[in-house]
Amino acid sequence: MSFIRISDVAKEFTTPDGGSIPVVRPLSLDIQEGEFVVFVGPSGCGKTTVMRMVGGLETPTSGDIYLKDTLVEGPSRDKGMVFQSYSSFPWLTVLGNIRFGLKYRSDISAAEKEKIARHYLDLVGLTPFADYTINRISGGMRQRVAIARTLAANPLVLLMDEPFGALDALSRERLQLQLMDLRRAERKTVIFVTHDVDEAVLLADRIVVFSKRPARILADIPVSATLPEKRGLDILDHSDFRKIRRDVLALIRNEERSMEAAE
Amino acid sequence: MASDEARKPAAERNAAPPARRAAWRDVVTFRGPPQPGLELWLSIAAFLAVLGAWALVAETGLVQPQILPSPFAVVAAWGRLFADGYIGDIGISVGRVWAAFLASALIAIPLGILMSGYRAITALLEPIIDFVRYLPVPALVPLTLIWLGIGEGSKITLLWIGTFFQLILLVADDARRVPKEFIETGRTLGASDSSLMKDVLLRAMLPNMVDSLRITLGWCWTYLIVAEIVASSSGVGYELWTARRYGKSPEVFAGILTIGIIGLVSDQAIRALHRRWFRYLQ
Repeated sequence: MSFIRISDVAKEFTTPDGGSIPVVRPLSLDIQEGEFVVFVGPSGCGKTTVMRMVGGLETPTSGDIYLKDTLVEGPSRDKGMVFQSYSSFPWLTVLGNIRFGLKYRSDISAAEKEKIARHYLDLVGLTPFADYTINRISGGMRQRVAIARTLAANPLVLLMDEPFGALDALSRERLQLQLMDLRRAERKTVIFVTHDVDEAVLLADRIVVFSKRPARILADIPVSATLPEKRGLDILDHSDFRKIRRDVLALIRNEERSMEAAE
Repeated sequence: MASDEARKPAAERNAAPPARRAAWRDVVTFRGPPQPGLELWLSIAAFLAVLGAWALVAETGLVQPQILPSPFAVVAAWGRLFADGYIGDIGISVGRVWAAFLASALIAIPLGILMSGYRAITALLEPIIDFVRYLPVPALVPLTLIWLGIGEGSKITLLWIGTFFQLILLVADDARRVPKEFIETGRTLGASDSSLMKDVLLRAMLPNMVDSLRITLGWCWTYLIVAEIVASSSGVGYELWTARRYGKSPEVFAGILTIGIIGLVSDQAIRALHRRWFRYLQ
C-alpha cells in the first residue's frame, strides 16, 4: 500500500440552515514516500480541504485516508502543518517557537530536544535571530520559523497550505529555493497547496490539478519525469518547464472560464 | 561667500533644516502624527482648567458652599477624614474589592476557557449566566442580607455576583478570538486538549484577558459603593453616606474623589503591568 492513500474521499460542508454544499467529489489519490506533491486549482476549489483532511483537521464525509497503513482520524504529530497566515506564537522567541515543536515528544531527552531545535534553527538560517520575538522579524522569517518548528516535530508528512502566499516576490523566491534544499536534506513527503503555477512546477515531483468546486482531479502531472530533481531558478527558462506551466495554466483557466460561465 | 557655498557638496549646502511643522498644527490635524509632549500639556491644562473653574465658582460664592464646596474645603475635609482613620476605611474597601475580584477571576477564567472549547459547557451555562447577568445587582442586596447578614460575606457575595457572570463571558470571548491556526498548530504538534488550553490558548488570550480583568475590577468598585451604602458600618462608601447624612458636603466630595483616585491608580497600575508583561506585542 502506498504511503498516503486517499480512497474515495468526499467532503460536504453543512450550512447553518441545514443544507449541504459539496466541496470535494469522491476522489482517490496515492502518494509515495518522499514525494513532493503540489495541489493546484482555481481559488476556492477545495484543494486545501483535501490537504486538511490528510492532516486530520477536517473529517471526510465519506471515504478513508490512510497514512502509512493507519487510518487518519484526527490531527497528530505525524502530520505537520504549515499555514499561510503567520502561526508562530508571538509570546515565544524564534528559538522558543522551534522548541515548541518538540514540547510534546516524550521519546527523546531534554538535551536532545535542545540539540534538535538548534539544528533546525540553523537549517533555516535563523541562528542570529534565535532570541528575537516574532513581532520583530519579517514575514519570510516567520514562515521559516513555522517550517523549522514543524520539521522539529519530525512528522511523517509535511502539509503546506500556501505557505509563501503572503510574502513579497523576492522572499518567496528565496524560501522556495531553501525549501528545495531542506527537502533534499530531509527526504520528507510533502503536500503543498498553491495557486502560483510557477511555484508548483518549480517545487513539484508531481502536480495534481483540481477542478472548480466541488473538487475532482483534472490531471496528475509527473513533473520529475521530465525536469531534473535538482532545480535552480534557471529552470524557469527550461523548455519542459514552460510546457508543463502552459498545460497547467490552460487547465486552470479553462475551469475558471466555466465557473464564470456558470454564474 | 557665495562661491564657498557653491564649492561644497550638495548635501552640505543649505545647512538650515527645512522648517518643521509646528507641533500645535499636528494635534489639530485630522489623524495627525502624535505629539506626546504637547498632548500631555493639553491634558494637564484641561485638568487645571476644570479645577480652576471649580475654585472660581466656589470661592466667589456664586454657588452656595453646601452645594459646591471649594477645592480648599475638600482638601481640609480630606485632612479631617484621614485624621479620623480614613486609611482604615480605604483598606477595608480595597480588601473587599480584591477578595471578590479574585474569587470571580479564579472561577471565571477556567470556566470561561472551558466554555469557549466545549459546546456542552456553553449549552449548560449560557442560559443561567445570561439570566443572572441581567439582574440588577442592587436588587440582590436584600437577598444577600437575608442569606448572609450584614457581615463581610454579604458584601463580597454581592460583588462576586456582579462581576463573575460578566467576567466569564468576557473570558470565553477572549478565548474564542484566539486564531484557529494557533490551535491547529498546537494539535499538529501533538498537544492534548489540556496542554492546548494551558500552553497555547491561555498564553495567546492572556493580553486580552488582562484587559477584561481590568474592566471587571472597575465594575467591582461600582458595586462596592452600593453595598457599603446600603449595609455597612465601614469602608469608603459608608463614610460617604455618613457624611451626606450630616450634610458635610466637603467630606462627600472628598469621598467621591477618593474612590475615583483609587480606581484610576489601580487601572493605571494594571495598564503598566500589561505593557511590561506583553512587551512582545510591540
